[in-house]
Amino acid sequence: MTNKTVFRVHPSVNFARFGTSEDYILSPETSAGLPQKGTDITGGLPIKKGTQNTPVTSNDLRDEDGNLKKQAARFRIYAYDFDGEDSYPGGAGTQVVVGTTLADGRTVKDLIWSSHLANKKAAAYNVVNNKGIEAYANNQVPQMRNPEVHGTIDSDYRLNRLMIDAGPRAISASSGDIAKFNRCSEAKCVQTGGEIVPLPKYPIRFPEDTNDELYEPSGPLDTLGEIRTDDEGRLLVLASSGNAVGQYDEYGVPIQMTGDLNNVGWFDSASDGPVNVTLVFDDGSTEEAFGAWVVCGDPAYAPQIRNVVSVWDDVYNMFVRDLGLQPDLYGFTHHEDKCQYKPTYKPNFTQDIQPIFIACNLQRWTANLPPLALHAHTAVEAITEDNDPNETIMAALNFIRNPNKDETNIGAPLMPLSLGAAGTSFLTVTKTQYFMLEQWSKNQFEKGEGTALGPGEILDMASMANCLGGRYVPGIEVSYTIMEKDIYQQDWKTSGSGPFRIKQYPLTYEELSKDKPYLNIGWIPLHNMTDGLEPGDISKFMAIPWQTDYNSCSIHATAINTDGVNESNGAESTLYWSWPSQRPDAVYVAEEVYNNVLPQQKWSIRGKGTYAVNPASAATFQDPLQSVQDWDKIGIIVQGTNIDGDREGCDTQKFSPELYLEVQSQLTNPGDATDPVPAWPFNANPTKKKRGCPH
Amino acid sequence: MNIKHTDWALEHLEDHLQAAVDLELWTIPFYMSAMYSIKDRESDAYQLIRTIINQEMLHLQCAANIANAYGFSPKITPPVYQGTKIPHLNFKLDPSEKTEPYMPYTAEIGPLDLKHINGMCLVELPEFDPPPLEILLESLINEYSTIGAFYDALRFGASLLKGHIKGGVRQVDYFSAFYRNMPNMTVTESGGAGFDQISLLIDLITDQGEGQCKKDPTVPSVFQNTADDTEPSEDHFVKFNQIKDAGGPDGCKLPETFSTKPVSEYTPEDIQLQNILVKQFGQLTQLLESLFRGENPDNFFPVMASVGGALRNCWEHGVTPKFSETNQH
Repeated sequence: MTNKTVFRVHPSVNFARFGTSEDYILSPETSAGLPQKGTDITGGLPIKKGTQNTPVTSNDLRDEDGNLKKQAARFRIYAYDFDGEDSYPGGAGTQVVVGTTLADGRTVKDLIWSSHLANKKAAAYNVVNNKGIEAYANNQVPQMRNPEVHGTIDSDYRLNRLMIDAGPRAISASSGDIAKFNRCSEAKCVQTGGEIVPLPKYPIRFPEDTNDELYEPSGPLDTLGEIRTDDEGRLLVLASSGNAVGQYDEYGVPIQMTGDLNNVGWFDSASDGPVNVTLVFDDGSTEEAFGAWVVCGDPAYAPQIRNVVSVWDDVYNMFVRDLGLQPDLYGFTHHEDKCQYKPTYKPNFTQDIQPIFIACNLQRWTANLPPLALHAHTAVEAITEDNDPNETIMAALNFIRNPNKDETNIGAPLMPLSLGAAGTSFLTVTKTQYFMLEQWSKNQFEKGEGTALGPGEILDMASMANCLGGRYVPGIEVSYTIMEKDIYQQDWKTSGSGPFRIKQYPLTYEELSKDKPYLNIGWIPLHNMTDGLEPGDISKFMAIPWQTDYNSCSIHATAINTDGVNESNGAESTLYWSWPSQRPDAVYVAEEVYNNVLPQQKWSIRGKGTYAVNPASAATFQDPLQSVQDWDKIGIIVQGTNIDGDREGCDTQKFSPELYLEVQSQLTNPGDATDPVPAWPFNANPTKKKRGCPH
Repeated sequence: MNIKHTDWALEHLEDHLQAAVDLELWTIPFYMSAMYSIKDRESDAYQLIRTIINQEMLHLQCAANIANAYGFSPKITPPVYQGTKIPHLNFKLDPSEKTEPYMPYTAEIGPLDLKHINGMCLVELPEFDPPPLEILLESLINEYSTIGAFYDALRFGASLLKGHIKGGVRQVDYFSAFYRNMPNMTVTESGGAGFDQISLLIDLITDQGEGQCKKDPTVPSVFQNTADDTEPSEDHFVKFNQIKDAGGPDGCKLPETFSTKPVSEYTPEDIQLQNILVKQFGQLTQLLESLFRGENPDNFFPVMASVGGALRNCWEHGVTPKFSETNQH
């Protein structure tokens, strides 16, 4: 077969993040917490606007008025020489920008980008926190959100009232245009040949269409974000401000939020959708790239604090086990007559093992770990490729919960000690992570830098590695559906798409009517749906509004995952962290650090409105309404290297690269009293005794 | 031979405190070896033994804190595991009908089996009679029949010498967060107030584990683990008996353990694994000694955790763990 050039957009899944400022920085293109060559700044920091890869410093996080800057998702195009069969890692890929000349002599004249953002949360099904994806098993579905709005899940009546659909937008890099996903900006799509076509009949939907008045604590929900290009023609997707609005009840009071996940009568401005590009060449020819997906969601409050299990770990695990990503790692074995991990496979210490160890030690900056744990975690991170695994603290993987066994109810000393997926008390590493660790513990591993990933592959990995994995209850950026093979292009080896690419449901934008919603409720899991995702089909599995879940998911007893019954091997009142790396719980405030001496930890969410009678609700806004209003005041955890030490009244001080400290919080001032942070283990107040029969 | 109360001198108290430390330390590798020999970490036996080991570590801390309050920093030396010898306990002094259910037993390092669970029960054997009005102070420490009797004597001797107590000296506290109802895990006061704290720590040791005579076997709430215990109200003797009873009269229903191979079949890698454990446990004893000497060794907990990994590694390779070159057959 003759080789041909294919184009792919990377990262295959990218994340834009909310901000209340009109200004923005760029989402990180390095992996959280990992060492970077030539610098002591670890990966995961957002990038300064207008630069290739200059990490932000603490003063870049807010604008002059103190508003939180958005994080724009930057998409790049890479060209690949495709011979009809892809493997992973490919290691190749050449970036294509406006002006790039290909090997065949064609020069890129313009790039026509398009995207389509929607939010189907209010129209979708409830998140069931103790069932997770199993709520969709056996041809079942959970209850619908907003059940008082009549109709079936796909009825026009419900979708018109509950779905937010900004419609598609398209821009050319050469125009320098900005397209906003709001009502005032016209919907546009791209037709074959790269022509941008207006869609005046597109049924744009926002909550204000069917609600005379809405409670708008942070302004109207009238946009889902925007797209623009940078000076090299790469696409930037900016999220909305992250605001949420609520309906009023019959008494004119904002509808009470009753929980974390499925609040009736509320909308937020999260979204997701496809990203596509048509390359226009100087000879008049055009080529379409394999598109990507953008998710617009929560801010990254601790961008360098690596999750022990990230979205990347979960997606990689699924591709390895279900979609033949690396047959030398996992595949069919004839003498066993089944698929299994290959005993001959040697993971690379730097790429496959060390990230887990680094993540372990980084948890200290966002969780209230006791001193013994801090020493242990330090010892884990100190392990190098030259150590004999049998002589380390990780010998025999004695403290790692085995995902192949029924160990999810065993707490300390097994790690990770944070809460687990739906129905389980504690988190486990993925089966692929565990296999890699097993190989390492048997001295079956390679030293050195390992197999080089291509630049696009690095972006794919970094983007997802910076997001919360494992505990999708329902998650922060994405939920459990991100691990479903049904949502991906499963023909990744032969189609030219490459792996990790979400399959897009074909949207032709034909037969449009202002009265009839264009999108349906779309893809749902475990229903044999493999025809691709519509806009909004990722974010609809998240909490509504997003702030109440972020706020609530600080610390819990394990029973929250297991139908209210303590299944763990510890006290029912013992509290554990929900999402410690992505949702900081206990932090060190940079302003209180002198000479690199750490102060007492403080809760990340603290100050007015956060004082908790029950430790189980510490570190949260006690009123969910406050979480909708004040989420942008929460501080960000940044490595000492990138903290601007211009403390008022003090000499500029430098912080150690070893420290990751909270900056830019607007919740308290230095010296304010706050709830104390006890070292783990700590306990919730006793639960109320159930009333028995008096007779 | 009994001695008179007035003969208790600081030196004799130190002997008792050192004996307390020795005994608490002795239990830890013995119990750990049994626990890590169990394949299924979710099994009740594994989890019960885990909770007991954690409390033995707490008791070691308590004994060292008491010793330091009297100006004595205990020595930590690798214990001896030979035959049926459990340090400072003489089961011949117990009524035979109380010890008979736990025969035969062994005090050698090995997997969880009938002989080992019997040995573990015997270590935790309670006093079956209330303490005599006249506390027996033995000149030879191994003339106590139970740990309860031993601690009764220690408490009495400690009270006689309460004037020597100095609070806040080389106190260690790694456990208070696991016992939220416990007023204090350390001796912070001097003299009589300090003795009250010491007496509380002795109560903690005996109520949790080593068999204080009590009508209600429930561990008082003040001494119950509030964090990670499967059965916080049960004392060690009850927990071990629970494992023994579940294992059946011949122990064949005890949870599956890793199979072991004869020493003659050990590979060089097996021997290396054994040596790693010996080396790390040796380091641990040195670090413990320095910890209780008022130093704050950074690597204390990592080494302690590593010992657990090295131990598990031995069992997984069919190797019987070894904690020292000379003190174990």
